[in-house]
Amino acid sequence: MSAAPNKVPFDPGRAAYVTLNVVLLGFLLAPIAIVLVFAFNPTPYISFPPVGVSLRWFDKFFAGSDFMNALWLSLWIAACVLVLAVVIGGACALALARGNLPARGFFTAFFMSPLMLPAILTGLALFQSYLLVGIGRPVWGLIMAHTLIAVPYVLRTTLAVLHNFDRRIEEAAAVLGASPLRVFFEVTLPLIRPGVFAGGVFAFIVSFDQFPVSLFLVVPKGETLPVVLFNYMKFDLDGAIAAASMVSILLALAVVLVLERLIGLKAYVKL
Amino acid sequence: MISRRNALKTGAGLAAAATVGAPSILHAETATLKITTWGGKWGDIMKASVLPAFEKEHKCTVSADQAFPFLPKLQASRKNDPLYDVFHTNSNEQWSALTEGLVMDKFTTREVPNIADVYPYAVSDKIVGVTIFTSAIGLGYRTDKGLTPPKSWKDLADPKLAGQRGGYLIPVNSLGQCHLMMLGKIYGKGLQDLDAAYKALEQLKPIKLVDFTGQMEKMLLSAEVSEGVIHDSGVYRYEGDNRQPVDFCSPTEGVMALEQVLNVPPGSKLKELAYAYIDYMLRPDMQKLLAEAVWYSPANKKVKLAEKYDAKLLTTPERVATLIQPDWKWYNARKDDIDARVTKILKG
Repeated sequence: MSAAPNKVPFDPGRAAYVTLNVVLLGFLLAPIAIVLVFAFNPTPYISFPPVGVSLRWFDKFFAGSDFMNALWLSLWIAACVLVLAVVIGGACALALARGNLPARGFFTAFFMSPLMLPAILTGLALFQSYLLVGIGRPVWGLIMAHTLIAVPYVLRTTLAVLHNFDRRIEEAAAVLGASPLRVFFEVTLPLIRPGVFAGGVFAFIVSFDQFPVSLFLVVPKGETLPVVLFNYMKFDLDGAIAAASMVSILLALAVVLVLERLIGLKAYVKL
Repeated sequence: MISRRNALKTGAGLAAAATVGAPSILHAETATLKITTWGGKWGDIMKASVLPAFEKEHKCTVSADQAFPFLPKLQASRKNDPLYDVFHTNSNEQWSALTEGLVMDKFTTREVPNIADVYPYAVSDKIVGVTIFTSAIGLGYRTDKGLTPPKSWKDLADPKLAGQRGGYLIPVNSLGQCHLMMLGKIYGKGLQDLDAAYKALEQLKPIKLVDFTGQMEKMLLSAEVSEGVIHDSGVYRYEGDNRQPVDFCSPTEGVMALEQVLNVPPGSKLKELAYAYIDYMLRPDMQKLLAEAVWYSPANKKVKLAEKYDAKLLTTPERVATLIQPDWKWYNARKDDIDARVTKILKG
């Protein structure tokens, strides 16, 4: 009698789990698939099935000075926000985790509060504040506004890393004669780097896609890509919107991949 | 006798004074007029030719804001230092702004001489500021679906159009608001008969709703709807090489007016320049340029459009007489209640 093959018994729980994951993945990816079809479809409206494959909407997007100016401005602002949010958020997280601050819970809630307010209200409040103090709507004001929204992301991811941090490594370095600055740059920073930079990725993406806060703070000829797309959509709802969306998605993906190659975000994912 | 040293000193002093004073002189000469304006094709024409020509004529610069929402931004800025010098919106928002004292009521020919040549609707008691263009809100329809071309607003209720008719999210779109008032006129005692309008709206279900007119255009082009409420320019612009199987119907009961209105905030520090801009926008050459670019009906009755535009747009007193102007002051005062009611009716 031959031995029975190693059959994995049917597990209804596992099957339900896999099915649920596939459904969720489909739900998340379906909008991207629709945008993809719209971006390559030559018709000036959403039609299914697509009537062909064309790059005309990408041509229109890349040839449009409004789109290109907005894209570069958005990238530039997002890059500034990434740096500022990493510096401010990282420093705040260290202070909150290590500083033995009184009312630590209050400060944590305070720094996280921009995430609790509707962003449109944050944008409106900043807009009124800027006008009241008479500074108008400068680009640095927009960068500060985006940073305000982005800092909590860096704060949260860095605090998560610091929570699992073994301080004895720092103490060992100090005992061996390293100065506090050297301990920070050669021990602390490399160990918390995944959390800080994961927050930085979020900060970049949050800024690059930021619409409600930007809505009130952009100036004529200084509009970010989401604002330009919104206004474009009101008058010309064609495939250029989808092409712009594809470019945005690819850029965000590129940032994540580059950071993964540079600093290894997987290390953070394991935490 | 002036010594060489003194001459040099005096020259240097004058040069320094000129250098210090120059920015203010330059600043005075290059005032920046802050305006709101539309995007799309309109925005392209404005940026390419209309605004540069104005800047050249008036030795100023124009900062044109195309990023909605305009009214909340004006509301948030200081009344004595408003964010805009010229406020371009549809009529409903002008009335909201007037209620809050954010814009002026009317202009005279002393401020804007070209007002003398506009059709009466452009400065009627239903208008705050002055209308520079109008579109006709009627019915857009597919010509390739075997439908009988509509003639009346009532045709939108044809049972054959169930799920194939298009309308707007009434709380956020003035075309939807106009349509609601028109339902009151068609099925009730007049534009303000809301009970009749609500009842008629109920009968239009199932109806596909959109936020923007641009979306309605695309829904018609993609045949997602066969008939929908839209402004004439949203259909007429698909002609020539760009021709699509869609057409526009001006219903026999009349068309609703979708006015492009200009106004000036009372606190503007550049009022004269703002008036000059409005006058410029009402000038026949600018009116013709923009009307033929975007298929808007010019408010200046002296404008002579090319034949194909003249044949379709509201360019004669007879056609202008078909325009029905809503009372936005009345509507805005009830907007919250109307929004709640129509949302309940059209929910789902």
